[in-house]
Amino acid sequence: MRVLIAMVRDRFDIVIVGAGPAGCTAAYLLAKAGFSVLLVDRGRGAGSKLLWGGKAYAQPLRDIWPELDREAPIHRWVSRDRFSFVWGDRVLTLEYKLGRKVAFTVYLPELVSWMARKAESVGATFIDEVVIDEIIVRDGVVYGVRSGNDIIRANVVVDAEGINRMLLEKLGLASKPNPYSLSLGVKEVLSLDSKLIEERFNLDKGEGLAWLVAGDITKGIPGGGFIYTMRDSISIGLVLSIGHAADMAEKGLLKEHVSSLVESFRLHPYFRVYWREADIIEYGGRMAIEGGLSYMPKKLYTNGLLVVGDAAGLLVNTGYTIRGVDTAVTSARLAAETIVEAHNKGGFTEDNLRAYEEKIKRSYIYKELVEHRGIEDVFRDQFFFTKFPALATRIGAKLFESDYEEPSMLRALLDSAREEDISILRIIYKLGRVARKL
Amino acid sequence: MRIIVGIKWVPNTQAVRFDPETGTLIRRGVPSIVNPHDLPAIELALRLRDSAGGEVIAISMAPPPAVKGLELALGMGVDLAILVTDRVYAGADTLATSYVLSHTIRKIEREYGSVDLVIFGQETIDSSTAHIPAQVASWLEWPYIYYVREARILDNKVVRVVRELEEYIEEYELETPAVLGVAMRSLKPRHVSLSNKIRARFEKKLIIWSNNDLKLDTRCVGLKGSPTIVAKTIDMPEVPRRKEVYKPRDARDAARWIISRMLEDEKLRELLQRTLWGVKS
Ligand SMILES: Cc1cc2nc3c(=O)[nH]c(=O)nc-3n(C[C@H](O)[C@H](O)[C@H](O)COP(=O)(O)OP(=O)(O)OC[C@H]3O[C@@H](n4cnc5c(N)ncnc54)[C@H](O)[C@@H]3O)c2cc1C
Repeated sequence: MRVLIAMVRDRFDIVIVGAGPAGCTAAYLLAKAGFSVLLVDRGRGAGSKLLWGGKAYAQPLRDIWPELDREAPIHRWVSRDRFSFVWGDRVLTLEYKLGRKVAFTVYLPELVSWMARKAESVGATFIDEVVIDEIIVRDGVVYGVRSGNDIIRANVVVDAEGINRMLLEKLGLASKPNPYSLSLGVKEVLSLDSKLIEERFNLDKGEGLAWLVAGDITKGIPGGGFIYTMRDSISIGLVLSIGHAADMAEKGLLKEHVSSLVESFRLHPYFRVYWREADIIEYGGRMAIEGGLSYMPKKLYTNGLLVVGDAAGLLVNTGYTIRGVDTAVTSARLAAETIVEAHNKGGFTEDNLRAYEEKIKRSYIYKELVEHRGIEDVFRDQFFFTKFPALATRIGAKLFESDYEEPSMLRALLDSAREEDISILRIIYKLGRVARKL
Repeated sequence: MRIIVGIKWVPNTQAVRFDPETGTLIRRGVPSIVNPHDLPAIELALRLRDSAGGEVIAISMAPPPAVKGLELALGMGVDLAILVTDRVYAGADTLATSYVLSHTIRKIEREYGSVDLVIFGQETIDSSTAHIPAQVASWLEWPYIYYVREARILDNKVVRVVRELEEYIEEYELETPAVLGVAMRSLKPRHVSLSNKIRARFEKKLIIWSNNDLKLDTRCVGLKGSPTIVAKTIDMPEVPRRKEVYKPRDARDAARWIISRMLEDEKLRELLQRTLWGVKS
């Protein structure tokens, strides 16, 4: 009783490659606008490869899902942001208490699965565990996608393939990344009772903490550490510049394996008390891009194609943290708007899709990227990763670790600078640069 | 031709880690997969259908996440997939499982028409009993051939089967309906296809049956219907890998060297005693 005349589903208005935050958002908005939408991901389930617990900004997501606060799998609302300089076992910490719900901690596979379910609820078809091998272009116009021997036709393809741009590279729209534009994120998840988390981090019920760490925990590799409190676990890890790490290893300056860097971070006497008795339940590593603007393809659109999210280089990497969820979501929203407008104008031609790039350039994402342009250089500067934390903690030691006298702030600064062999002028100059870039 | 293929959703034992402190397997976060030895069975079923016509129905008795496994079978090209799932089926040994599966096959016959072949993989990577195909065959009182490498439909009611044993190859002709167990790695499974997956989704080719549908006596299924008792489990200690190079004079010398190296290591010695000689230390 095999169905002989199979209902052939080989054509959709929109095919979206990649079910990360960008792809799921595009699928949701376009299906809701009435298009037939196919969303495809190679992983099992949406966002399954995004093995991190981190922090996401809420408002850009609320713009699309006003029900976010109520429905999304939010772990904790970030109520405290901390920043620490670490040098050996000396630590200088700053903390800021937030007044409203700006960002939340979340386990990304959960958040992205939620987005994918939203997309399916308004009619998008989500197929997982299938790889798209190629975006097919015929006579300069996107024709569809190929997976193995199957060709699925589409009026528009939205490329949301993330940082690994196999498809865009094949189309000649993006080049292979160089190691200096990539960083490696490595993380561990430590399970800990939610009450203990709240006690140890001084949080009210449901509140969370985001903590960034700079200093010699990266053994001089440009990068930094992060700590996020999840519902009943803590996510810790490091972000490391791959190119610089490789250079250092070559020069014999780096002998340790990354996993042992994370391990020393976990065992650091200042931090480890927070996760005493916690079990490691997960660990993993993943690549991220560094500089957004330099990673952006020459064009974000062609006849029948739009590029969104990480694939478009739309992510902000400050050196210790990576922020790409809200930017991916926003870029997908702008892409969906453009597609609806192009449809009303009569077609998905390059001319009609150009508006997408203009929208991106007018958006907060682009402003962020421009503002952080050059931050890579600042952060790549050994000064920031080695000298500065050393200096800051030395000043701290002078101020707080003296047995008899209490030196003035200025005295502490001058003495520390001399001992670290840094000129005060250089400090002021460097700080000025950092301040301008932040 | 109506062919049923049975698949099992198993933890990926290659990704399961062993916790030496508690002596248990760490299954948390370990992705499940379709039992790899079932893939040649799916492939054989599809080849028979492609040559003789008809339809292939994949069945699995498992908790709900196993829909992912059935989606894979649909992606390979099976025509219908049925997940048989119910809390009362939990904790089943092979007897209770084969009981449910055989009644699933009976119900398929009632709903879709007579079944000609039931095909299983040889065994599963997580339990390796190889009981299921034989037990299903006995419940149904159908003939059963295992270690099958090839099969061909001769005419509507006869199938020719090749099974490869260590020293000889046997060929059988048997009347359908029959049950086949397919030898491991005998056929290369085809890839999952996007079109198949889309078609399966639009034509709603994945259906779920519970005990409301099968209406089996709850004393015969799940934990209650399972007489098997695990008397004892012995964990194999994990031995870290060490690389050593030894240039032996001949095979005898090599064997002697390997055994003597193993005997020097306390854990390996214990393993050898347990597995090779069955001696308790
Ligand atoms: C370690 C680390 C920590 C981070 N922490 C944060 C944080 O705290 N806050 C924050 O906002 N951001 C963070 N980010 C960044 C954030 O994860 C990304 O910016 C975001 O996921 C980008 O979304 P996307 O949808 O563009 O791409 P992705 O999320 O990468 O999704 C791309 C999807 O496409 C699929 N795919 C790719 N190619 C194909 C193909 N050919 N066929 C089928 N499927 C394909 C992939 O499987 C993947 O699911 C972090 C990143 C890393 C690496």
